[in-house]
Formats: sequence, C-alpha cells, structure tokens
Amino acid sequence: MMERERGIIKENISKRKIVFFGIVPFAILSTMIVLILSYPALFFSNPIKPLPEISIEKVEFEPLKIIATVRNTGHSEVSIVQADINDRIHSAAMEPDNKLERFESAKVIIPFTWNEGEPYGIGLTTDDGTRFEKNIQFAILTPQPTVKQASYFALIGTYVGVIPVMIGLLWYPFIRKLSLNKYNFFLSFTVGLLVFLGIDALLEGNEIVVRDISSAFHGQMLLIMVAILSLVSLIYITSKLVRNARAKSSESEYPVYTEASKDDISNVSSVHSSRQHLIIRPMALSMMIAVGIGLHNFGEGLAIGAAVLLGEVALSSFLILGFTLHNTTEGLAIVAPMARSKKLAIAKLILMGLIAGVPTIIGSWIGGFLYSPVATIIFLGIGAGAIFQVVYSVGSWMYYNNNKALTSLPIVSGFILGIFIMYITGLLV
Amino acid sequence: MSHPQAIVLAGVLISILTLGVVTVVGSQKEENSTSNTKQFGGHTPGYGTYETTGSVLDPTSLPTDPNNSVVEPMKFLRDFNYGRVSYSADGSTIRDFTIIASDQSTKEISPGVSYNVWTFNNTVPGPTLRATEGDLIRINFINNGSGFHTMHFHGIHPSEMDGVFEGIAPGGKFTYEFLAEPFGVFPYHCHIQPLEEHISRGLYGALIIDPKKPRANADEMVMMMNGYDTDFDTENNFYTVNGIPYYYMHHPIQIEKDELIRIYLVNMLEFDALNNFHLHANLFHFYKSGTNLVPDEYTDIVTMNQGERGILEFSYKFPGKYMFHAHKTEFAEKGWMGTFLVTEPENAVNASSFSNITEIITNITNGGSS
Repeated sequence: MMERERGIIKENISKRKIVFFGIVPFAILSTMIVLILSYPALFFSNPIKPLPEISIEKVEFEPLKIIATVRNTGHSEVSIVQADINDRIHSAAMEPDNKLERFESAKVIIPFTWNEGEPYGIGLTTDDGTRFEKNIQFAILTPQPTVKQASYFALIGTYVGVIPVMIGLLWYPFIRKLSLNKYNFFLSFTVGLLVFLGIDALLEGNEIVVRDISSAFHGQMLLIMVAILSLVSLIYITSKLVRNARAKSSESEYPVYTEASKDDISNVSSVHSSRQHLIIRPMALSMMIAVGIGLHNFGEGLAIGAAVLLGEVALSSFLILGFTLHNTTEGLAIVAPMARSKKLAIAKLILMGLIAGVPTIIGSWIGGFLYSPVATIIFLGIGAGAIFQVVYSVGSWMYYNNNKALTSLPIVSGFILGIFIMYITGLLV
Repeated sequence: MSHPQAIVLAGVLISILTLGVVTVVGSQKEENSTSNTKQFGGHTPGYGTYETTGSVLDPTSLPTDPNNSVVEPMKFLRDFNYGRVSYSADGSTIRDFTIIASDQSTKEISPGVSYNVWTFNNTVPGPTLRATEGDLIRINFINNGSGFHTMHFHGIHPSEMDGVFEGIAPGGKFTYEFLAEPFGVFPYHCHIQPLEEHISRGLYGALIIDPKKPRANADEMVMMMNGYDTDFDTENNFYTVNGIPYYYMHHPIQIEKDELIRIYLVNMLEFDALNNFHLHANLFHFYKSGTNLVPDEYTDIVTMNQGERGILEFSYKFPGKYMFHAHKTEFAEKGWMGTFLVTEPENAVNASSFSNITEIITNITNGGSS
C-alpha cells in the first residue's frame, strides 16, 4: 500500500514538474511581452514609428462618383487625408471616418465624372504624405445586384460552366466501350486536366494576391495553406468514408480489375489485397471529381464576376467561347471513372454535371456583387486542394488497377496530352 | 464511400472557411449613429454637393492646423523683413538679419499631411528679406540643424559670401555680409549637397533689393512657387504658392479695384523643369528678375525654370473673384491655385491715390513700348 501511495505521489510530483516545465517558457515570454509593451524606452532607445501601409481593395464606379474601399494593412493606426484621381487632388469623403485602426477598412467617396472604358488611377495619401495608388484598367459601371445583372451573370455562368460540362458528359457512352488500355489513357488524360486546373487555380489566386491583397495578409501563404488544408482534410474524410462504407457492405460491390482481367472490362471481380480498402468506387470517384471541379468552377466564377466588377476585362464572346472550350474537358473528367460502373445512371450523371457547373453561376454572383479578394483566394485554395485530392484518388485507383505501376504508355501519354490540351484551350481565354 | 456525405462535408468545410473570411473581411467599423452630416464636393463646377456622415478630405476648402502649419500664407504674403537698421560712419544703411536654419521639425504642409520640413526661421518659404540698392546686408546665420547648411544668395558678392564652399556645421554660426546690388528680386537657398534635397525640403526664400528711386506705390506681395515631395520619389506630391496648397482658394487675397498690385514672384520648385503663373481676366507687366524698370512683357502667363523670378504689375478693372494658378494644370490640380477678391475702394481718398498710380503705370508702359 505504502509503496503504491508513494508511487502515486511520485507520479503526481513528476506530473506537476511536467506542467511546471511546460509553463516556464510561456511565463518568461509573457513577462517579456508585458515589459516591452509597458516600458518600450528601456528596450528601444529610439523607437521608430512603423511606416503606414494601406491597400485599396476595391474600386467601384457609380454615376458621378468613384468609391474606393481601403484597408489599413500597416502596423499602426493611420489617417487618410487626401484622395486623388489620376494623381490630381479631388474633394472626397470617407465613411465611417478617415482614421483607420489596424486592419480596419472604410470607404472613400470621390465625386467625379468618369468615362466608361477608360483607365483610372485612384490614389490616397496618408497623414505622412505617402501616396498609395490602385490602377483600374477599364472603368465600368459597377454591377448592381439587380435581377437583370444577376441573370446576365447567370447566362455567362451557364455558358462558361454548365453547358461545357454537360457537353463533356456526352462522352460517357464512348468511354464506356473502351478497352482498359484506352480507358487508362482517358483516365490519365483526366488527371492531366485536373493537374492543370489545380495549378491554374493557384496561379490565378496568386494573381489576385499580387493585385489586391496587402502583404500583411501573407496572401500567397494563405492560398497555399488553404490548398494543403483542403487537400489533406479531403483525403482524410474520403478515406474515412470509404472505410465506413466497406465495413457496412460486402466488398464485392466495388469493382476492381484483377491482374488476370486487365484487358476485359466486363470481367469485374473483387480483389482482397490489404490496401484494397483504400480504393474508391468509380461512381464515388466521379462524384468527387464533380465536387472538385465544382469548387474550381466556383473560384472561376468568382474571378469572372470580380473581373467584371473590377473592370479588368470586357467579357467578349471570344473570351466566353474560350472558357467554354476549355471547360468541356471537365465533363470528360467526370465521366471517365464512372464508365467503369455497371449501371448507367443518367440522373446521377446530370446531377454531377450540375454540381460541377452551377457553382460558376453562384461564383460570378458573389464575385460580381460582393468582391472580396481574401474570400476569393480562399475559395481558389479550397478548389485547388479538392482537385489535387481527386488527382490523388484517381491516381491511386489507376495505380492499384494497373499492377501498381503508372508508367505504361497510355497512362503517361494521356497525362501529358491532358495538360497540353488544357494549355492550348487555355490560350483562348 | 457515399457521395452525399462527401458533398455535405465539402459544404461544411467551405462554410467554415467562408465564415472565417467574412469575420475578417467584414470587420468594418460600425456606422456612426449620430446624424451630423457634412457637405463636400460642391465648390467644383459640374460636381454636385454630396453629404456624408464621415470625414471630409478636401484640401481645397479646409485649412491646415494653425498651430503646426508650415507657414501662415496670408501673413507671409505681405510680410517683408527689412532687418534691424543701423548706419555706418559714412551714413550708408546697414541691415542686420538673423536667420536660423533647422531640419528637425515636422509640420503640416497640407491639411492633415505632416512632413519633416527644413526651414529658415521656422517657415517654408523662409522670410522675405528686403533692402535698398547700396545697403550693407548682414545676415547672422545660425545653423540649428543636425546637418551642414549654408545660405547662398543670388546677386553680386565676394566668393566667401557665396555660401557654397564653406558649410556651416550644426551649432555653427556665420555672418554673410555684402552690398545689396543690383536691384531686383533674388532667391536665396541652402547650397549643401545633395542640393535637390536641401532645397526641396524647404531651405529657401526671397531677397528683394529695391532700386534707389523706389518703384511706384502699390499693394505689394511676394509669391513663392514651391512643391513638396512627401513620399521621396523625386516627384512632387503637392504644389503651392506660399507654402500651403489651395490656401488662397479658401482664403482669397483681398485687393481693391484699380489699385496697383505688385507681385514678387519666385520659382523654387524642385524636380519639375518649369512652373508658371497665369492671371485670370487680366494681363500684367512682367519685369524679368526685377532688374529693369522697363517691363519685358505684357501678358497673362509667365513661365519660369527653377530659380527664375520676376516682378508682376497689374490692377483689376472690375470687382469680383478671379483665379490665378499654374497653367501647367497638373500643378494647379495638386494645389497651385488661388483667388483674388477684388472689391470697390473703401473710400475716396484711396481712390484718388489710385489715379496717380494708374498714371505712373501708364507712363512706365509708354516708356516701355517707345
């Protein structure tokens, strides 16, 4: 008894020690912070006032006025004391007021007779005389959330997102009739497309970071971080879901090629390798691709809406045609894995098409009416992560169905061609 | 794998991230509930008057804080420093001036804009010094700054009084002593390298040397054209006449109808190759460098390079409000504009003296054209 009690006491003491040593660094750190904040003069004999930094996040053009949304992205409070257009001083008002706390934002209203289609530079000067500028390539009346404008965006979204995906889905019967080698080719072609789309999302996000997001937000890091977060959590979620599904039902439901039946699509049987439970059913793969592409298209929609809002582009019919061609391949990506499924499920196919395409419309509404660069890069990051997760899933599906190798000619050539086709159609955009 | 679940999970993931974004992005300050709205924008023709509950940013209609203003343009306008007068044994006039250079103070150069100006006697532009041809000018110069400074006068004087090769150290003193010659209007400025910096920061002023036979009586003023490069990109952010952008827009210069106006105009603008002055609804006689009593030109625009200057003489025929500004409109739209408010003479006594002046002008004009 005594021994045991002693043991418990010892254990308690050692636990306390652990807690103590865990806290010590925090205690020292907080003491230091308190000291520095209370007596800065003790540490820095000549405290330097941090340079002000503001970023103009959004410029809206309304009849007879220009409205700029500005955020304090520096390290201290800042006052904005002057507004200019094309480097010429103009009377302006600032609401709620012209003093901005760190990260606070406000609107600058500048009465101005602007001309549609012309470039403008909007400048703001802080109380130390530093001028910050934002250039707009193409002034256009800021879209107001009217039914007319919303249906215009919906039309663009339909052309850019929904129709091409639906057209791509029509490859379903074609893909279904292919031998495994040819099928592998199209599947890896899909992977190529997806890799391109994933990189494209990251690059597009980076463009927005460079253009609209102050360095204070570490936009590039945010973008990559969100992408990784989305990738890792989606991989975790899907593998968990697959495991649960396996546990509930017999594995024979999940068609997987055996080595013997590699070239015979109709001969589908189950394989009981130890890793097999991680492979996802083709229908589920298609759905995941649809969701991933949907997220990507949501980001694309945001970018299109924002481009209209920010006057970055005049959406020409050529540009829309380019997007349409570019996105048709997305439909192919969805049907490719699904072709392995026994049953033809037209309703599901259409549902997937809508899941992949409709987010473009929603994205263009949000991007066009409530543009926020930070939100846009977060969505682009999620989209990129989701796409890379699909790449991972399709890749592992192919890996286990091709004798654990991805180096066959159909696979490699399909992958390369997939990326190349995206690049070529991307030139149209 | 059941795909509805995947969709739901993806949805949840998106919503959580969206919420996060919305909280960060939407952290705008709440609107003030007080309904004290202010008007802005109405003074520019073609632009409507707008109302705001927020702050008005408008250097064209708001003054600087008088307690920390870089200069009081209305006081500076007609402020001539004749020095402390004494007489030498031979009876000639000696004028003593004390000029203190400093480079540590931050002052308001436009409403809300603080800038570390370098000053002669605490203002930009520095004081307007005035003497008569033949006077002995003695400048007791004290460098109260943190770096070397000098005073370099345009005009005729010995080498050692030129303020170029012997920089005055911080805390140092020097007496510049020279005869006022010839008559005219001259800039003075610091001549320490980098010259562009020492000048653009504000170390300059005007020296007026009157001819022995005084010019005709007039309402005299000095106008110093300058600029400020507040973000140090070797381009001016502000252009002014007499130190504060737009000042004479909201504080018109009051003059009387038919009264002779004489402006000593100096261009101390840095970075831009030229600057100019345009008078509305009128023409002026221009005396280049002020070194001649006969006008060089009868015009409404005079263009000057860096350091150039002259004298303008005119009078207004009709009462009312008249603009003057740089006809390099970029400069005008960055602060170099102002207004004259021409009123009827206050009493008949003044009116009679005006007719005399007009006569004198007419004589001069005739003399110039013959």
